Order: sequence, then structure tokens, then C-alpha cells
Amino acid sequence: MTPVIALSLFGIINLFLGFTFKRQSLQVVTLLFIICSMALTAMDWNHEYLWFGDMMKTNNLSINFSLIIQLAGLLVVAFSNGFGKDEVYTQPAEYYAILLFSLVGALLMVSFQNLIMLFVGLEILSVAMYVLTGSDKRNLRSNEAALKYFLMGSFATGFLLFGIALVYGSTRSLYISGILYNLSHTAPESLPSFLYAGIILMGIGLLFKISAAPFHFWTPDVYEGAPTIFTMFMSTVVKTAGFAAIYHILDVTFGGFQKNWIITVYFITIITLILGNISAAYQQSAKRMLAFSSISHAGYMLLTVCANQPSTSSNILYYSLAYTLATAVSFAVLMVVAEYQTGRTEKPENFDALNGLAKNNPSLAFAFTVALLSLAGIPLTAGFWGKFFVFTDMFNKNLTYPIIIAVLMSAVGIYYYFKGIISVYFNSGEIEKIETSFLFKIALWSACIGTLVLGIYPTLLKSIF
Amino acid sequence: MNYQPSDFLPIFVQLAAAMGFIVFTMIVTHILGPRRSTKLKDEAFECGIESQGDARTPISIKYFLVAILFVLFDIEIVFMYPWAVNFKQLSWTGFWEMAVFMGLLLAGFVYVIKKGILKWEK
Amino acid sequence: MYLLFILLFPLLLGSFLLIAKPAKAFGLALGGSIIELIISCILLCDANTGKLPTEFISNWIPEAGLKFALFVDGINGILILLTALLVPFIIGSTAGSEKANDAKYQGLILTMQAALMGAFLAKDAFLFYFFFEASLLPIYFIINLYGSENRTKISFKFFVYTLFGSLFLLIGLIYVYLRTPGNTPSADFETLYQTASVLSTKEQSLLFLAFFIAFAIKMPMFPFHTWQPDTYTVAPSQGTMLLSGIMLKMGTYGVIRMIVPMFPAGIANWGNWVIILSVIGVLYGSIIAIQQKDMKRLLAYSSFAHVGLMSAGMLTLSNEGIQGALYQMLSHGINIVGLFFIVEVIERRTQSRDLDQLGGITSASKVLSIGFIILSLGSVALPLTNGFVGEFLLLKSVFDYQLTIGIIAGITIILGAVYTLRMIQKSMFGNASKFSINFEDLTISEKLVIIPLCILVVLGGIFPTVVLNYSQPAVDLLSKWIK
Repeated sequence: MTPVIALSLFGIINLFLGFTFKRQSLQVVTLLFIICSMALTAMDWNHEYLWFGDMMKTNNLSINFSLIIQLAGLLVVAFSNGFGKDEVYTQPAEYYAILLFSLVGALLMVSFQNLIMLFVGLEILSVAMYVLTGSDKRNLRSNEAALKYFLMGSFATGFLLFGIALVYGSTRSLYISGILYNLSHTAPESLPSFLYAGIILMGIGLLFKISAAPFHFWTPDVYEGAPTIFTMFMSTVVKTAGFAAIYHILDVTFGGFQKNWIITVYFITIITLILGNISAAYQQSAKRMLAFSSISHAGYMLLTVCANQPSTSSNILYYSLAYTLATAVSFAVLMVVAEYQTGRTEKPENFDALNGLAKNNPSLAFAFTVALLSLAGIPLTAGFWGKFFVFTDMFNKNLTYPIIIAVLMSAVGIYYYFKGIISVYFNSGEIEKIETSFLFKIALWSACIGTLVLGIYPTLLKSIF
Repeated sequence: MNYQPSDFLPIFVQLAAAMGFIVFTMIVTHILGPRRSTKLKDEAFECGIESQGDARTPISIKYFLVAILFVLFDIEIVFMYPWAVNFKQLSWTGFWEMAVFMGLLLAGFVYVIKKGILKWEK
Repeated sequence: MYLLFILLFPLLLGSFLLIAKPAKAFGLALGGSIIELIISCILLCDANTGKLPTEFISNWIPEAGLKFALFVDGINGILILLTALLVPFIIGSTAGSEKANDAKYQGLILTMQAALMGAFLAKDAFLFYFFFEASLLPIYFIINLYGSENRTKISFKFFVYTLFGSLFLLIGLIYVYLRTPGNTPSADFETLYQTASVLSTKEQSLLFLAFFIAFAIKMPMFPFHTWQPDTYTVAPSQGTMLLSGIMLKMGTYGVIRMIVPMFPAGIANWGNWVIILSVIGVLYGSIIAIQQKDMKRLLAYSSFAHVGLMSAGMLTLSNEGIQGALYQMLSHGINIVGLFFIVEVIERRTQSRDLDQLGGITSASKVLSIGFIILSLGSVALPLTNGFVGEFLLLKSVFDYQLTIGIIAGITIILGAVYTLRMIQKSMFGNASKFSINFEDLTISEKLVIIPLCILVVLGGIFPTVVLNYSQPAVDLLSKWIK
């Protein structure tokens, strides 16, 4: 688990570099740090190690998840542009350090072997996110979002902890291996009933983090209130880590008890799909729409968790990657356009603010379109295969009715994603050429090309997932 | 070792006694105590002087920062107690682990000073 | 390699035009599409005689058992020919307008051609689906960037409508695909036919509906046609030609390639209703076409009526029906592209498509009116034109299926004659209106589009056996699955 140690150290170093370095050089340094830790992660490929008193295990699955998470971090840092030119109110060194620390939390969440480690990872990640959400100190919305996120998040953590306690009480172990051992050596009738309550409570705690309905109420407000760059981070890193943890808990650990949790999770999945998509269709603000779309994508990913097939982990990986690339690009474009429009229009994050982007900024418009198409799941983009693999899993499990709902909701999805494409290309508006930094362009293009390549030739990564 | 539910009996007894005492005293004081409220009595008591202004005045953020830093560095002592007690058993491993911990803490301290948080007047 | 070439060549050329935006886009695009046509013809002839391989197979997603497999046989050969044949005319029809050297426009047309080629060439059902969907994107942009007023709303409706239908196709496909034998499932058409043949009747009927809704929306068939007239009207002429000439055939091709061999039991269950719906569509489209004043709208409804007859013929599952539908796809494509081009020519000169505002063009341009009449007669299915062969075979199959339906469907010929002749009479003959009084004769480039198309109409009527013999073996193979 060298990347965990490395990232923590890098974070601390970053704090001190803030005293001497300029913000642009800090950005480059942070990028190098993340690339370095990605290399460290990749070095463990094809090995299985136990770390920290057997509390963490790295294998190929966890390495894949870690790499996707760090890739998301990389994109966010590249898009961040040193957090603008505001010298007084933004502290880039601290932001970068917190981003690195939260990556540590996410890495713990994808490779935990002990429930306490899951809790610690989740808390590291969440507390960092609470801080970053409120980092726009002078913005009331940002403050409100931070407080809301903090209160709701701690409440969810309470659920998780309660669940862990109940599971511990009934299986006498916090280690996944210990839990599995005890469960397999106990007759099902003699298991205490609060074990099931514990499983459900843990599930609820994690489902909150990935904003599944009906635990999604914080999502639109928090996503909208937080500075866009951190919203991007939230919707990619937190979601991927959350799904890794959910998969690990529900499918790997308690897969044998599927009949006990499946109905609840089923129900949650279907409401998530319906609520996320239908509410997204009504949004005027592109940022809020992306928040609801993030809810709906949680629904699609939960479907494959419900199916619990051998291919589930690889499908979650693929979906996370496709979703991460597309979301990062769409938020990035939205961010620069909103920056440009601030002061020019009343609501710089609305769809209307994007009107006519294609005229003077063809590359931004193209990237945005590709990202939205991928989110909508149109062929040629990675998002299509993400959905395809999910549907395949469900058919393997014979879940026909949820598929019908998922398909109908995909059609609704096309409706609201195309609102963005229409405003970018076909509505008239005046947007001058927006200057972006070199790193921003590189990140934008590589994410965009990645989406297309994965859309045309998914085997490229599917074969190693 | 297996615990039976009956083994927890003493805990429940203590819990019931503690809760019961609180509930009992609260109810009893309400019933027994006479109530005569006047305007003067209802006012907030502030060292016998007439109270001025609102109690909820803004306080400089520096107080909170110092307070939270105090808590942070205070915790370190809590960790050092068990370490000191088990110093011999933990041997060098324990020593290095504690050194790393103190090192991180020290780095934090340096950071705090360099940020100028402890400078009272800026 | 020829197979790969005809798929990738338009794609690469189109992307080049879109990215590099060269000034002489027209020459490049036209030249490219003619090369494509030549290579396609070579491929079709030589593959038929066994000189060239008929398949190209490589791995695409081995984990899911999906292959990047292209092939050519008698059925898709006709559609490949259609696509390769029409695109040069479509690109040629831009000559002289400001769109001719618009690299973006030509690039979109060529990428559209690539997507259509891909759909017709695919041997793997998911590859077909992939291109089936991907073809929506270029046409969406063509309509939206170059269409007339209200295009955003209408093209959006078109997009959501068709995509909604094809989602059902996707889940239906996944359902069958997961039941294929072997460790990893396969989506090869042959394997799917085998798998589908052992499904229960109930499964077959449900799957039939899931598949059919996608293709019915694409064609479009009554009552899923509501997107069609508006979309055809607002799209730029070349977009309409692509939509009606080629893209519509993806729906009918899908029915022949997938529904007919896969779900004969489903067709037995629902076929009667669907054929009745098709015939209703034929009548409905014809009757509405009679009342249209806008020529583009009139042609849209006529196209809708023709497609209804095709789907009715195919679903009778008879040899004549399928052959007739295939032949009709080819001739309808040629006729409708020619007719839409004539509308475009008239509109360029008079700024109007309204039948009431036109008239007296015959005296101004002989070639135009003769071409118009020949193409219209092809569309009405007069003997010795290409439309006759297809329509005859289709009607015969419907007559054999059920006499009453056949008789009702037969009325379409009369109705077709009514609206087509009315269109010719109102636009070409009579007194010149203030719009058409200064009508200029055709330019050379316009003649070069119209005259070859007219020749094709006549040739198709005189030598239908060339095409019919070409597709016969593949249709026979298909009928094996029907029993």
C-alpha cells in the first residue's frame, strides 16, 4: 500500500510548498505526485499483498479501482488551473493537499479488509469533501452546501457505524475473512436477526455516499453550491470509491445473504433511476442537471450490484471509468463557461449560458458533446458499453422488469442530455473565444479521446478489468 | 469467551439507577420547589451588573483556531500515555512509530506557525 | 480488405473533411464517393462469383463474444449497392449551391454513408446495432445545422423517437444473445437464428414486438410515423434524400435480416395485425399525400405509403414478398432521391415548394419535366419502370396471403397515380405563376444528376432479373429459417 503512504506524504509536502511555490507550479507538482503514486499502485499488478496488520488487501481489482480514482484526481487537478487568479481567497496549496488526502481515503475504501478500515477511509474522504465544499467562503450557497453535506454525511456515517457494530456483534469479527469464516461455519437459523439489520444499515450508510434515492436529497444542493472543480471531484472520486465499497460489502461479503438485502436494494435502485432521471429532465441549471444525472447513474451501477454476477466487478469498473471521463469533461466545460459568463448573465450555470458555445470554441463544444453523448449512452462512446454490460448482467440474472424501467429512463436521459448539446450547437448566443491553459486542453482532449476509444474498442480495458 | 445476556445485568442495573436518579430529581424539584417569577428574577444574571447588548456577539475566529489547535496537540499526550506504559514491550518498533507520529505532529506545528495562526495581531 | 475499405474509406474521408475543412470539399467528396461506388461494384461482382472473400472477421470484444464481422451476401449486397450508388448523386446535387464547398456538410454526408455501410455490412448483430445508432448522429447534425425553421424541436423529436425504439431492439438482442450456446455468447446472425428457433412461442412473440418497434419507427410504419413528415420537410434536401433514400431502408433491412429468420413464430402470432397496420399505413399515407400542397411533404407521405407496402410484403414471409421488398428498396431509393432533387431544383429557382404557386415549368425546361415524369412514373409503378417490378411482387405476395388485404393494398396504385399525377400537373403544366415565370433551364451539373437517375429507372424496369437473380440464393437461405 505504498501509494497510501506516498499520497499522505505528498499532501504534507504540498502544504509546505505552498509557502514558496506559485499556484501554477503547485498544480504541476501535484500532477507529478499523483502520477508517481499511480506508478506505485501499478507496480503491485498481479500480486496480492496484505497490509497494516492484514487490514488491507491489494489485488488486481483494488488496483484497477485505485487507478481509476487517481485518474479522476489527475483530471481534476489538471482542470483546476491553480484555482484561478484570486490570490486572497483561494489557497491552492491547501486545496491540493486536501485533494491528495481525500484520495488516500478513497484508496482505503477500495482495498479494505477490515470494516474499521472502511470506516476510516470513508471518514477521511468525507471530511475532506466537507471542507472543500465550503471552500468558497464568501458564497452563501457554498456555506449552506457544506453545512448540509456535513450534517447529512455524519448522519449517514452513524448508520454505517451502527451497521458495522451489529455485524460485529453477530459475526464476532471485523475482518472480512473472519466474517466470511464465521458465517460459513454457523447454521443460518442460529444467526441473530440483527445481522440482517446490520447489513442493511451498512448498505444505507454507503448508499448515502453514492447518493442513491431516497438518500439523495443533499446531492443537488451540494453539487450546485460547491465550487465546480470540487463538484467534479465529488461526482467522480467519491462515487467510484463508494461503489467499490458497496460491491465489496454487498456482493463479496454478504453475497450469500442476497435474498435478505436484495429487495431493499432493488427498491432503492428503481427509485433512484426514476427520481434521478425524471428530476434531471426538469432542471434549468446544467450543473443541477449533472447532479441529478449523477444520481441516475448511481441507479444504473446499482443494477449490476443487484445482479451480482461474476462479471459485476469488471462492469462496475468499466462504468465508473466511462462515467468519470464523461463527468469530468462536462463539469470542466461548464466550469470555464460559467467563469466566462459570471457577470455577463444572471445565472452562469444555466443551459442558456452555454448558448452558441460552438461558434468560437469548437473544441470545448465538441468535448462537451462527446461527454454528454457518453452519459446518455449513445454508441461510439464509452457510456454505451457501460450500459450494455449492465444490461447483460441483468439479463443473466433474469431481472426483466428493472431492465424495462432502465431502458425507459435511458430514453428520458437522452432528452435532458440533448438540451446541453442543443444549446451548445444550435441555439444562438454570443460567447467569445475562451482561453484555457495548456494542461486544461491536454486533460480535456485525453478524456475526450479516451471516451471515444473506449466506445469503439472497449476490449482495450475490458480485457484487464 | 461467550457472554450470556444475563452477564450484562449489572450494567443494566447501573444504567437504570443512573437514569432513574436524574429523572427522579428533575420531577421532584419541579413539584417541590415554589415558583414565584418577577421581572427582575427572569433577567439574565451577569455579576450583579445590568446586562448589556446581545449575548450572541461575533467572536474573533482566532479564539476558535487556538482552541482547536489546543485540542489537537493535547490529544498527542493521550497517545503517549499508553505508549509510555508499554514502552519496553513495544521496543524499537514502537519507538519509531511514535517518532513518525511526533514528526507528523511537529510538521503540523511548523505549518501552523508559518501560516501565522498564532500571531495575535496582524 | 475490400469490405473494410468500403466501410472505412467514407469515414476517413468524412473525418478529414470535418477536421481539416479543405476549400475544395465538393470535388473531394464527389471523387471519394465515386471511388467508393466503383470499389463497391467490384466487391459485389467478385464476391458473388467467389473471387473475393465474402467475409471479414476480426475480434472486437472477445470478453463478450462480439466480433467485428463484415460480410456481403445477396440481401445486403443490394443495400450496399444502393448506398454506394445514391451518395454520389446526393453529393452531386449540392453542385452550384453554397453547400457544395461546405466541408462540414460534405463531411457529415460521408460519415453518414460510412455508418449506413456499417449497418448493412455487419455480420454481428451488435455491430449492426452500433452503426444503426451511430447513423443518427450525422443526420441529426445535418438537419440541425442546415435545416429550415423549427429544426431544433423537430430533429430532437426524431432523435428521441428513433432512439427510444432502438433501446427495445437492444434489450431484445441482449435477450437472444445471452441464450446462444457456448461459453461466451455470440451475436453472429447465424447463431442468433439458431438460438431464436428454439425459443418458445411466447418468447418469440414478445421479442418480435421488441425488435419490430425499433424497425417500425425507423421505417416508419403507421402509427409510429409522426416524426417523419416534419423531419423530411425541415431537413435540407440532401438530408431528406439520405433519410428517405437510404436510412429508411435500415428499418426494412433489419426486418428481413433479423425479424424474418429469427421469429417466424412471432410473425405467425402478430403478423396478421402488423400487415393490416401496414396496409392502413399505405392507405393513410396515400390519402394524406393527395391533400398536400408542399411538395416535400407530399413526397414524405408517398414514401411512407411505399414503405407500408414493403413491410406488408416482407411479413407475408413468402419468397416473392421478400424479393419484392428488396427490389423495391433499391428502386424506391433511386426514385425518391431523384424526386427530392427535382423539388430542390424547383425550390432553388422559385423559392417555393407550394403546388399552388407553381406551374408552367414545362415550357421553361424540357429536361426537367421529362425527368420529373419518368421518375414519377417509376414511383407510380408503371410497367417498364423499376417501381413496377417491386410493387408487383409485393402485391402478389399480399394477395396470396389474404385476398381482401391484397385488394385494399392494390388501391394504393390508383391512389399513388392520383397524387403523383396531381403533383406533376400542378407544378409542371398550366400557366406559369409569378414564382415560376422566370424559370431558368437546368445547369449541366443538375442534368448530370437527373439524367442518370432516369436511365436507372428505365433500366431497372427492363432488366430486373439481374438484381433478382443476385439476391435469390440469399433469400432461399433465409427461407430455410422460416420453416
